[in-house]
Amino acid sequence: MKIQMEFISSDVLKDMLGGDKIEFILKKIKGNKILVLDGGLSPLEETRLIEETMSKINKSFRGIEISTLRDKVDGGIKNKLIKFLGGQTGGLTVIGPSKLVKKIKKEPQKILLFAEKR
Amino acid sequence: MFGRRKIIRLGLYGPPNAGKTTLANKISMDWTGEPVGSVSEIPHETREVQKKERVVIQTRGKKLVMNLLDMPGIATKIDFEEFLAHGLSVDDAQQRAKEATKGVIEAIKWLENVDTALVIMDSAKDPYTQVNITIIGNLEARGIPVVIVANKIDLDDAKPELIQEAFPQHPVVKISGLRGQHLEELYNAIAKYSV
Repeated sequence: MKIQMEFISSDVLKDMLGGDKIEFILKKIKGNKILVLDGGLSPLEETRLIEETMSKINKSFRGIEISTLRDKVDGGIKNKLIKFLGGQTGGLTVIGPSKLVKKIKKEPQKILLFAEKR
Repeated sequence: MFGRRKIIRLGLYGPPNAGKTTLANKISMDWTGEPVGSVSEIPHETREVQKKERVVIQTRGKKLVMNLLDMPGIATKIDFEEFLAHGLSVDDAQQRAKEATKGVIEAIKWLENVDTALVIMDSAKDPYTQVNITIIGNLEARGIPVVIVANKIDLDDAKPELIQEAFPQHPVVKISGLRGQHLEELYNAIAKYSV
């Protein structure tokens, strides 16, 4: 039983446009990889990822499990603007296909991921 | 246009089976005498946005005119086998799954078209889920007022205080949509936080 995890540096994603970033992520997830994204996804990117995931669901791909840890940031205008534009304010996101990732338990400062390959 | 009362587009968001439609029905029945939609124990019963327009509520001498928008539950996965486990046929389960995916997309697209959001959570479940966090984070990024509804407080294992601990930055109203408990507090919160 092998489960492949891929840790992706924020450098890989930082120059991608929103749609390209989501396609990049979903392609890997559909290839049965569990991803850890340095920098994390913003809430707007997460909802876009959920939207795109829904449009791709079929008999063999039933969705994703996802969890993000965000760095605490101050509520200043700059950070709010960065977040609204989908930019990174620190943190990490863990994503995997739901057929592999059975459960993600999130706590304020850690993520527990339970994976199983049948 | 002048002199018209502003109509608040109130979106009911949350994961599947949090009690969104039960609450929407209760609010609508209280003020219009008509329900909004059907409810079921099978997840994703609401697969299209259900609307009840011009619901007028009065609380503490304030009158609010709202369009109630009962959203499909937001999820990150749709597994048709879950529907089979609830007794649906293969064809019905596959059709429900297909419609459910469209419902999630529709609910997300509506995020930019609500004035105030109620985020409904089941008080008997862990509130610290990515779906709840993503919905709230998205609403925050758009500057949309959020009232969190800790629903199903009538259940024996309900722990609404965990919801308050998980989201201290937003008002939390503890209710039972099914039993109609503490709805007056919810109406007050909607009036207070709707701008």
